[in-house]
Amino acid sequence: MSIRRVVLAWLLGALAPSLAWADNPLIVEAALDREVAAPLLDAFEAAYPHIQLTFRDRSTLEVDARIADTNDPPDVVISSAMPWQMARVNEGYARRLDSSAAREWPAWAKWRNEVFGFTFEPIVMAYRLDLARHMLPPTTHADLHTLLTQQRGTLRDKVTTYSPVRSGIGYTLFQQDARYTTRFWDLVAAMGAADANLEANTRSMLEGLSEGRYWLGYNLLGSYAMHWAQSHPEVFVQVPQDYSLVMMRMAFIHRDAPHPAAARAFLDFLLGREGQRVIAGETPLFSVRSDVVGPYTAQRLRDQVGERLYPIPLNASLLAFVDPSRRAAFMDRWQREFRRLSHPAPAPSAAATEPRIDKRAQR
Amino acid sequence: MIQVEGSLKARLAVWLVVTVSALGVLLLVEAYFSSQRAAERAYDSQLEAAALTIAEAVQWEAGQPVVEIPSAALQILATRHQERVFYAVLDADGQAISGNLNMAIPREWQRQVTLQPTWFSETHRGTPWRLHGRELDSAGWETQDPVQIWVGHTMSGRDALAEALFEQAVTRFVIMVLVAGILMLLAMRVALAPMRRLRHQLRQRDADDMRPLDTRVPEEMREMAETLDSLFTRQRESRDALLRFTADASHQLKTPLAGLQATSELALQSEHPETWRQALADVHDSAGRTSRLAGQLLSLARLRHAEEEGTATRLDAVSLLRETAFDWAQRDAAQGHDIGLAALPESPQYICGEDWALRELLGNLIDNALRYTPPGSVITLGAVRHAQTLEWYIEDDGPGVSAEVMARLHRPFERGGRQDTEGSGLGLAIVDSIVRRHAARMQVESAEKGGLRVRLLFPCLTRHEEG
Repeated sequence: MSIRRVVLAWLLGALAPSLAWADNPLIVEAALDREVAAPLLDAFEAAYPHIQLTFRDRSTLEVDARIADTNDPPDVVISSAMPWQMARVNEGYARRLDSSAAREWPAWAKWRNEVFGFTFEPIVMAYRLDLARHMLPPTTHADLHTLLTQQRGTLRDKVTTYSPVRSGIGYTLFQQDARYTTRFWDLVAAMGAADANLEANTRSMLEGLSEGRYWLGYNLLGSYAMHWAQSHPEVFVQVPQDYSLVMMRMAFIHRDAPHPAAARAFLDFLLGREGQRVIAGETPLFSVRSDVVGPYTAQRLRDQVGERLYPIPLNASLLAFVDPSRRAAFMDRWQREFRRLSHPAPAPSAAATEPRIDKRAQR
Repeated sequence: MIQVEGSLKARLAVWLVVTVSALGVLLLVEAYFSSQRAAERAYDSQLEAAALTIAEAVQWEAGQPVVEIPSAALQILATRHQERVFYAVLDADGQAISGNLNMAIPREWQRQVTLQPTWFSETHRGTPWRLHGRELDSAGWETQDPVQIWVGHTMSGRDALAEALFEQAVTRFVIMVLVAGILMLLAMRVALAPMRRLRHQLRQRDADDMRPLDTRVPEEMREMAETLDSLFTRQRESRDALLRFTADASHQLKTPLAGLQATSELALQSEHPETWRQALADVHDSAGRTSRLAGQLLSLARLRHAEEEGTATRLDAVSLLRETAFDWAQRDAAQGHDIGLAALPESPQYICGEDWALRELLGNLIDNALRYTPPGSVITLGAVRHAQTLEWYIEDDGPGVSAEVMARLHRPFERGGRQDTEGSGLGLAIVDSIVRRHAARMQVESAEKGGLRVRLLFPCLTRHEEG
């Protein structure tokens, strides 16, 4: 065999992967605002020009349904509905990622090296300027409760929060709130008494605030709210000073990913220094990595609000939130508490005015 | 020729390796299964803890069992290895009240669990799972049905723990083998110390030191030491015999030489030619005897010390006997005696031997008979064929010897208690040597007519060997 032929064979072997990548599509199903994630996606496309990225921005419910779609599975799944993501991983829909980025990822933000929480989004309160004219804006959960109790008349119909029925994130946040203190139910009752408006997503709450329909919002995604506040000066974002939950968007490679190599590249990028740098610098999603510098990093958030950040634990305990009977029990209690003060003698038949639909579209 | 065949250390090491490997395989198999069992027990108890935690959360509301799955139970199930988890709460009809993963629990298992909490291994969609089921008797106001709680998880933690335990066992075993090897080397040094001591002692010995060993040896070496001792004894005896022989030979040669000197001295002092002549004749006779003595000594030495050089051939014992007898009968020395042959076997009888040595043997026997019997005695030679042997015998009707002397006859310089003959006392010693050389036996006994009978028994060649 001549040397020339050996070189040719070697060249072909070396080029084969990149040739294969040249027309390698990548399908990402994500419950993540395209607008917010745009810098991240642009950076990925710049780093991997061979991969044709298809980013489908969907609701958490749609994403969850797409995971189980065995005929046309996506490559990468991103969702903020942490318990449902966890349930899917537990069902075995995720594929293990063995890469240095995955191994170095902090243990509290990953599970089984299969699913990774790659953002660090604080849950915040947001209020409109009008609120500040009438009263001192709340800085803690207790403040909020006091305000709702004392200024019930003023705040009637002006408060908004997630609907636990229509939003998976909202449900998760309330579950986590309820785990910390039973006084949470007093807050729910107070919100019910103030005829709080239940929205399916943060975007609706922010729009309501900007339009002046709402004065005060509770349990908004900090990432979206901060992004919104930059262009809407009438909206202020308050990170609660007693404790602030932190939500992580969870990403995993689908077990049946049709393009696993590209999917690995995408996840490595998300977890890698470059992707996290973009997250920290150009999106309000907050980087988890401590070695990344930028306006939006978990470290910087900690520096600002202290150690009162309580990430929703990314472990098997999340699975309890999706347990149907536990969910039903929680919903019952929610309905009861929400109507406790506004309808002192609750009629059992009126217990469920809101339709019980799991995880309505939320963005 | 000493051939070195391996070493004791190597031999012991091979044994150690063989036994240790056989033992090791057994131990490792045992360690493998016991680590599997230990891991299983450890994680099975976590399953139990999770199931109990869930059981604690089961309550009856309006005739229906309601369970609010505790997060802690799921974390216990997941363990720190982050297993995938399964749980299900079944009512009395086997219907799921709560649960995940849609894993169907076979009816048979449900029946087993009604008897006692049980663990099962199961493969669900290609992944091995370990399941645990237990029944909870809980009573509500309206209904009192049992509830079954099922939990399960994947097995990576078990595998990791079993692997770690097994690795520990292997490490312990390897260390044990190394320590045992070192101890074996030490033990070998200690055990072989007596052998080194003996070797040292032997090396320190003078070349002619034939004393018995004076040392302490363990029981295992006693036989070797005794063998060495007996070797020394035999060497000492043979050296003593050699020294005695040399001394005797010198003495024997000295006597005739002294006679020669005396005779020649006397003759020199005399003036008479007649005396000179007489002296010369004496000197001649004496020199002849001395020469014969020296010849006999020479052939004895040759027989004793040149044993390897034998050139044995197949020869006919009957004709050899006949020829030798005729030869001697015609000699001058035999003129005073009657040498005769007894009836001989008619066919040739073959034995294996050296022609010259056998002739020497017969010659010595005849010469002895001539010397130690008075003139006119009858000397008879004969050959008899026995089953395995061929016998030559020679007997005379002389005075014979006493039984006590008979036992000593074959020793050199033994003259059968007689000093009146010209014999050297070497004849029967030479005969004895030749007999040994031919693996034959010699018997000396009294003849029927009162004289001495010497019987020689040679092994016959078998027909096969003859062919």
